[in-house]
Amino acid sequence: MSNKRNVASILALLVVAVVSTALAGDKNAPPSQKIPKGSKVFVAPMEGGYDTYLKDAIAKKKVPVEIVASRDQADYEITGTSESQKASTAKKIILGNWHSREEASISVSNIKSSEVVWAYSVHEEASTHGKKSSAEACAKHLKDAIENQ
Amino acid sequence: MGSRECIMHSGKLLMSPALAALILSLAIFPLTARASTSQANNSTQDQNKDDQNKAADSGQSASADQAKEPASDIKSAPTDEGQLATVNNAKIPSYSKVYVAPIAGGFENYIIAGLRNKKVPLTVVIDRSKADYEISGVSDSEKAGWAKMLFIGSQNSNEQASIKISDLKTGAVIFGYSVHKTNSVRGKQSAGEACAKHIRKIVLD
Repeated sequence: MSNKRNVASILALLVVAVVSTALAGDKNAPPSQKIPKGSKVFVAPMEGGYDTYLKDAIAKKKVPVEIVASRDQADYEITGTSESQKASTAKKIILGNWHSREEASISVSNIKSSEVVWAYSVHEEASTHGKKSSAEACAKHLKDAIENQ
Repeated sequence: MGSRECIMHSGKLLMSPALAALILSLAIFPLTARASTSQANNSTQDQNKDDQNKAADSGQSASADQAKEPASDIKSAPTDEGQLATVNNAKIPSYSKVYVAPIAGGFENYIIAGLRNKKVPLTVVIDRSKADYEISGVSDSEKAGWAKMLFIGSQNSNEQASIKISDLKTGAVIFGYSVHKTNSVRGKQSAGEACAKHIRKIVLD
């Protein structure tokens, strides 16, 4: 009788364990949003050659990642968009402002898991150094995100 | 000849105040129109708050059953800058996988950045096949013209965007939001963050 009770209790425990693991699997877990230092990053081509500015900025701001030329070699991919609007004649005459208006938004995604791990957008109404400024802002915040995680 | 010149001169004199009045009226019209719309917004804000409180009190039910409801059940509520619509107060479970479809002008990137900035508990994926929900929409940006710079002294753009969230399993649209920002200080970034802020309202913590 005691053996039968033991077997029954073990079976019950097993059923509980299986059900609990199945339920845990259904629940969405928060993603591990970390970009390890020294990760291989591929910068995807962007409109207006913004990817070039971004690569330069990553190097200038000493972001602790390695830029690779091929997506196959990379762990992470940077995609994004940018828009630049040169100062119009009205802006120059009425507001006395020669600087361009810059907008950019980038996201870093893990290639293996397809999850976006980091994203940032920047808007500069009067950018002194045009695209270079916005790209450096993106790089600076990416560096902060990697170092302060 | 002298009298004709005199008549023409007086005609010009009469024309110039009329022209000035026309320019002034054109300059003042947007300001008065904005004042009237802000009054309208204020009157609807109280009603909106009441609706939101009622929605919060009514409880948080699962989205799967509600997503199957027909489109006629979409409830609409005006917000500060935009229009919000949900299907029977539908909710998205936290850390659900969301795919943001490409939007003209790269607005999807601003939405992703907005989701991160507003700390919306969703996992954005770049592969549609791995996602549970899809965000799609349209956006439009209108740069400030010379008249706006001259009369209002503003170089900020007007932004408008509209997004919807659909359940990829059932195909039902469970959430919709549209935003219109006059004089958007941060351009598309502001519109993207407004969308993210309102998406957060339907995500279960």
